[in-house]
Amino acid sequence: MNRGPYLFLGVFCAMALSWVGLILQPQLQIGWGRQETNVLNTLELYPQARPGLAQQGLQVYRSLGCATCHSRQIRQTGASFDVGLTGAGTNVPELVQAILKVKPDLTPAQATQQAERLPAILVASVDKATADAAVTNLSVGGAKAVANLVALGPDIARGWGSGRSVAADYLFEQPALLGSQRVGPDLANVGLRMPGRAWHFLHLYDPRAVVPGSVMPPYRFLFEARKVGAKPSPEVLRLSGPTPKFDAGGTRTNWTTPESIQLTAAAAPPSGFEIVPTDDAQALVAYLLSLRTDVPLFERPLSAALAPPGAGTTNVVVTPAPAPAPTPAPAP
Amino acid sequence: MASLKFHAPQLLAGSAWLTYGRLQPAATHALLYGFAVPAGLGVVLWLTARLGRVPLQLPGVAFVGGVVWNLGVKLGLLGILVGDSTGYEWLEMPRYAAPIVFAGYSLVAVSALLTFKDRRESQLYVSQWFVLAAVFWFPWIFSTAELLVSFAPLRGVMPTVVAWWYAGNLANLWFGFIGLAILFYLLPTLLNRPLYSQYHAMLAFWVLVLFGGGCGIPQSAPLPAWMPGVSTVCSLFTLVAVVAVAINLYRTSASGRPDGSPFPFALVVFSATAYVVAGFLNSAAALPSVAAITDFTFFTPARTQLWVYGFFGVAVFAAMYHILPRVLGFALPSSRLVKLHAGCAMTGLALSVAALASGGLAQGRGLNDPEVAFLEALRPGLMALRLSTLGDLLIFAGQLALCLNLAAALVGWCRRGFLPVLAAAAKPDAVEAGR
Amino acid sequence: MKPERIASLPASPAEPTAGAVPAPVWLFVAMGLLAFWSLHFLEADAGGFSHKVYRPYTSLASIEALQPKSEGDVMFASGQRVFTIYCTVCHQPTGQGLPNQFPPLAASEWVAAPSPNRIIRLVLDGIQGPITVKGVGFNGAMPPWRELLKDEEIAAVLTYVRGNQNWGNSAPPVTPEQVKAIRDKVAARSAWLPDELLKVAETE
Repeated sequence: MNRGPYLFLGVFCAMALSWVGLILQPQLQIGWGRQETNVLNTLELYPQARPGLAQQGLQVYRSLGCATCHSRQIRQTGASFDVGLTGAGTNVPELVQAILKVKPDLTPAQATQQAERLPAILVASVDKATADAAVTNLSVGGAKAVANLVALGPDIARGWGSGRSVAADYLFEQPALLGSQRVGPDLANVGLRMPGRAWHFLHLYDPRAVVPGSVMPPYRFLFEARKVGAKPSPEVLRLSGPTPKFDAGGTRTNWTTPESIQLTAAAAPPSGFEIVPTDDAQALVAYLLSLRTDVPLFERPLSAALAPPGAGTTNVVVTPAPAPAPTPAPAP
Repeated sequence: MASLKFHAPQLLAGSAWLTYGRLQPAATHALLYGFAVPAGLGVVLWLTARLGRVPLQLPGVAFVGGVVWNLGVKLGLLGILVGDSTGYEWLEMPRYAAPIVFAGYSLVAVSALLTFKDRRESQLYVSQWFVLAAVFWFPWIFSTAELLVSFAPLRGVMPTVVAWWYAGNLANLWFGFIGLAILFYLLPTLLNRPLYSQYHAMLAFWVLVLFGGGCGIPQSAPLPAWMPGVSTVCSLFTLVAVVAVAINLYRTSASGRPDGSPFPFALVVFSATAYVVAGFLNSAAALPSVAAITDFTFFTPARTQLWVYGFFGVAVFAAMYHILPRVLGFALPSSRLVKLHAGCAMTGLALSVAALASGGLAQGRGLNDPEVAFLEALRPGLMALRLSTLGDLLIFAGQLALCLNLAAALVGWCRRGFLPVLAAAAKPDAVEAGR
Repeated sequence: MKPERIASLPASPAEPTAGAVPAPVWLFVAMGLLAFWSLHFLEADAGGFSHKVYRPYTSLASIEALQPKSEGDVMFASGQRVFTIYCTVCHQPTGQGLPNQFPPLAASEWVAAPSPNRIIRLVLDGIQGPITVKGVGFNGAMPPWRELLKDEEIAAVLTYVRGNQNWGNSAPPVTPEQVKAIRDKVAARSAWLPDELLKVAETE
């Protein structure tokens, strides 16, 4: 350990191991990534390159340091299966029998009802073997049944994405700003979750107006106040009236009752002025709206949704609640 | 002053009127490249000369290197505030600042290596292995990282992988090594007894050299499963090194009392404790089950602060208090300011780290429960941030005390004429150029 | 600042030395255990170092099993059921048929034809008369299934027969739409003659 050159050589070789392991090897594996095919629709390549404005938006995102508070990666802890019935086929009585076999707790009447209300998820959250067996049992008389993979994980349960993030999602990101903090919600699928352009402008201008209790700083320097001309400018921000509101995690809070924008005092423009987004704001919002990672890939198996996402209702027959136990007579 | 101002990073607590997204990377950049690395380089120069029993070779080159380095760091800082940050953590430096910084380092490294080559003491002391390894390793990781991230960027998520690799190497194999070199030097020197065992140190050295570089990949990364897995394994192996170092330092210091001022010793003990605690926290955070709770929370900045400031920063302060009087030829003007600085630094850091770590854990538990609304999950983290801002302010106050002390010392030095002690050239540089 | 060399540094205590206590054995043992655990961990968790395996999946095979099946696989399973009920009487469960009586389906050129239009017609309306299958002549009669089996069932059983790799068949599956198209195009008729069927073009 006393000879400088030998020490240097030994140290260099050992430390270079980490270079080989964590840079060379990954580069060989994922560095030459190409667009992959969506496993459900093999004509669709993924990811799609972003349009120019969204690419500029990525640079705005980088320069403003949005990644210091927002992450852009979804985690997944497991996968379970739902068995869904999509087509009744032509032999309904046989299908009803099959349904009863798969869900023994239904009455025949309920099973018949179920066979009419399609598409429906019959069995939820089971493992693959059970799901496959159920699908085979249900495929009688032309009935179509599928076993859908449902990804599990806290991020997914919060609605931040439908499956984990993989390297292919960032293929066209230069730089790929994954973020390591969640002071604000994850943004991997914000283009899907919150597709409203006007809402994003308003959020950047005055976050607390549309997300009560938000800790995000207002980015008023991304907007300019212009004197109102004969007509309001086409991109003007609407600063009053009804707006969707989200909680700080990106979940919509007011589905039914309309809520109106409540601008904070400092955000109100002087009278006679309107707020218009600058080019940077336009680019940033275009970028945010392009963020989505819901495509099923080989390494991120997902199934197409049986029912369109939305209010969260699917046609599942509800088994009746057990009859309430008779209340004991009061003690004398 | 500028570099010390950067020690107070977080301007949160709900009233961010400056763009936090630019200020935070700027603060990290300043902390790492404005304070930590130059301070480490200064210690490297002094240790190499001292342990080789030879005066510093080419001190002028080292001085120029220090100036160039600081120019590059300042340029980078301005660049980040203007919006040219690369976006990658610990590598925020804009492209145009990187070559300048690299050139500055190389000049200082030349001086250090020449001094090493000319050493008169052929038996290498433990600290010298660490110092030599670190001095060589930084240009490699820095140039690789800058090349693959800024100059000829790789595709897709690979630059992020490179940035993570770089951060892991910088933390474990540069800050870790130089900090350990300081501890292994200062503890025996202050206690006036030999280091417990060079074989323990050798074990720690080779384990870290083999496994320390592989620790950077976070468990939540969107990468094939083997990559975070390799990071887990490497992080657990570094625990072996941490244990070896802990035994070594503890046995050296058992029932020992430092002669002279207690403060470098207190700082050394604090730094050693921080090293062990941070080592365990880092290895724990590399386990997938723990990472599921701590990823994306304030636990990560807590760990980083403990390592960079609590372990490395405090070690460098201890080295500074040991080296400067010897270099300047006289003791620092105010020992009260020394106590103030040391006390503020240690208390502030402990408060900040403890607050962030516990807040982060609570935040992580909340994030992992989909029933808990996001803001509810964030709330304990925000409260912890307020406490940690308090801690940061304490650290800032301590830094002010240090600066005042050093300013007074420099004034005194200038007044007493230029002492021909050439190892001094590098150390005050880091502070002088920071003004 | 002009550097001046100095002869020696200011007086200070001697530089530290290091003792020679050997590293503890138990630490090496711990390292060995850690190495063992790491190998186990990497085997379980590292997905075979494949670039396609992401957490929470642990092996390439498990991900391949999760890829969505094409419609054909589900049809294959149903087709097997239909075949067992209706076709094994003559064509045997092995698909080999009986010599001089029932032609084989395994590796049969009739089954493996690129387009299934001939065998769809054959199943719908039956076939009788001398027929050559795999170079061997047969002269029997196959009943029509137009009334007994629905489109989905015919498609399923043909998918099974055509895709049964145990028999050496790996032709593409048949969809119910294809069966329906031919059922509508060709009115119910008496059994086909093999020569008549062979004249039917591939595309019909």
